[in-house]
Amino acid sequence: MKARRYSSWLMWLVLLVIAVLSFFWSGTLTTANTFNSGFFGAVAASTEIPADMSTAENTELTLTPAPKPTRADYPDVGVSSRSIVWVVAQLHLFFGALVLAVPLFVLVIELLGVYTKDSRYDDMAHEFMKISITAYSITALFGGTLALALFLLYPDLMAYLMRVFGAQMMVYAILFFLESIVLYIYYYGWNAMRYGNAKWVHLSLGLLLNAVGATLMVTANSWATFMMAPSGVNEVGAVIGDIWEVMKGPLWNPINLHRFIANIAFGGAVVGAYAAYKCLAARTAEARAHYDWMGYTSNFIAILAFLPLPFAGYWLMAEIYAYSQQMGITAMGGILAWLFIIQAVLIGTILLAGNYYLWSGMSRTEGSKRYQRFIKYIAVVLVICFLIWVTPHTLILTSGEIAALGGSNHPLLGALGIMPAKNIAVNLMLIFTFMSFQIYRRSDKVATVSWETAGNALMVAIYIVAIVNIIFVGVYYGYFTNTVYKVGSSVIQVVSTLTVIISGVVLDAFLYRKAKTLPSHWGQVSNRAQYALFALPIAFTWLMALMGYVRSSVRTHWHVYTVMKDTSPDNFIPTIGYAGNMMTIVTVLFVLFVLFIFWIANLSGTKQVPPYATHKAPAAERVESTA
Amino acid sequence: MIKNLQIWLTAFAVVSLYFYGLDHFIMSMQGLPLNMDLTPAQ
Repeated sequence: MKARRYSSWLMWLVLLVIAVLSFFWSGTLTTANTFNSGFFGAVAASTEIPADMSTAENTELTLTPAPKPTRADYPDVGVSSRSIVWVVAQLHLFFGALVLAVPLFVLVIELLGVYTKDSRYDDMAHEFMKISITAYSITALFGGTLALALFLLYPDLMAYLMRVFGAQMMVYAILFFLESIVLYIYYYGWNAMRYGNAKWVHLSLGLLLNAVGATLMVTANSWATFMMAPSGVNEVGAVIGDIWEVMKGPLWNPINLHRFIANIAFGGAVVGAYAAYKCLAARTAEARAHYDWMGYTSNFIAILAFLPLPFAGYWLMAEIYAYSQQMGITAMGGILAWLFIIQAVLIGTILLAGNYYLWSGMSRTEGSKRYQRFIKYIAVVLVICFLIWVTPHTLILTSGEIAALGGSNHPLLGALGIMPAKNIAVNLMLIFTFMSFQIYRRSDKVATVSWETAGNALMVAIYIVAIVNIIFVGVYYGYFTNTVYKVGSSVIQVVSTLTVIISGVVLDAFLYRKAKTLPSHWGQVSNRAQYALFALPIAFTWLMALMGYVRSSVRTHWHVYTVMKDTSPDNFIPTIGYAGNMMTIVTVLFVLFVLFIFWIANLSGTKQVPPYATHKAPAAERVESTA
Repeated sequence: MIKNLQIWLTAFAVVSLYFYGLDHFIMSMQGLPLNMDLTPAQ
């Protein structure tokens, strides 16, 4: 009966989502200006059309160009408007990424718990959600603050965006309410829907939560991508297409994919830090083992999601170049190009920290001794590739230094500063990180299948030939053929890396079927490994702030690229130093808020012992829950 | 011993063939055909 009641509620929720989505995609309400007259008449009053007008007159009136505000149209609040929006938007995006990502892997872990009938998965998934639920409120607070800041500080831009997107923004608001409702039911109903049919209702709610969350994300992404590469409007910014044409700009799907994957990696890293904090603070061996396992799972999620991320980023940059070469060159060939060196440092930090955690974690099982000899070679390759990646092409030099060097490029290292060398380095770093994963996963297993030798031979051959292929195409097509072949060969490198990862996962799944399992001792890991888990979210956060700045800066002096000029006092690309300070401020603020979330999550599991129950112990002694 | 050698040689031969075909396939797909020796055909 209970399950039926929940199913009924679920059915209503599903119907509501379908109704909202139908409204969203329906052909009858797809004209942006039609949206406006219904919901945002005040903002888009100029678009209203009297019934008796001819079609030609209607068209003429409807095509309202983008506004051309003067500097006086931007309110002066005494501090840089851009800096205010920068900080608030970035914090909203950090928390938004976290709360959208966590339910994604929580659902998978919960499902794993159902299939394995191991309640530890369920407990871990529930605890991950505990972090997400606190972060959700903060996300909403920053979202509201961002909206207020934008409407206050950039009124003309927001009026234009409201006119272009119209009721789609209302759909966003409805989806947000739906997300809140489903999220709270999903979290607070966890124990009420833990077994039997009710569990499937709970899983369905998780699926619904993720569907709504993903829709929210792609909806918001369309606003950012419209500002970078507007579609559905003419050269003066007048809306000429329906809402679908406005949304599906050339950069929408690359951003959708990139953010989707990045969010998972980011979410995994943040909850990993929570697990590390709890592991270090654990007072019992049982609690330490639990949080060690939780930290391992988080790192697994973060790094596994991170592996395909450079390819999604590559696609995004390729689409940016295809849309506007000028925009692409601004990003990667001008002043912003230096930020990609910082990006390399941060990604290198992430990969080194992730690998170090795995190598340290191998001490949990005695079976790892078979593989420990490989670690030093993996470390050497990672460091060499990291150094190649951070080698700049053009150095910022004085005339004296240029004379001493014989040019602005180093005669030997200059060759490492261009993309072919960096592509080789990135792909090898990803392959060797996967190798760390693979040997870690194999550490506590002994294969029992008859074709073990053949399977291992195949895996080793895939690694070696893929590495040779990546280096060959990178060097040959990158340095000895024309640019078209150079760019085309990078796809070979991507597919070679993916071949290693996919074949490694598939092959091991069959090779270690019915394998003998060696004992693993969770909690038997150095504290240093836990500090590596702290490094991950900080590097991820800084990286997101950095690349968000690059993505936004490529619009240069445009609010909406080529359509609506930014005439505010901040209509220039800030210096790298200034941008670096801003990124650091938002990263520090985010870390402080995350620490607050961890504290709150910890506080909810803490019970004060009643004073009358303890005669000798201090009255304020607390009992920590490990669940 | 000989059987093991056969296994390893077969593995390397199969994988090399796969990657050789992959290089041709991916470049052709992008309108950038290659000669048999992997040099650009254009």
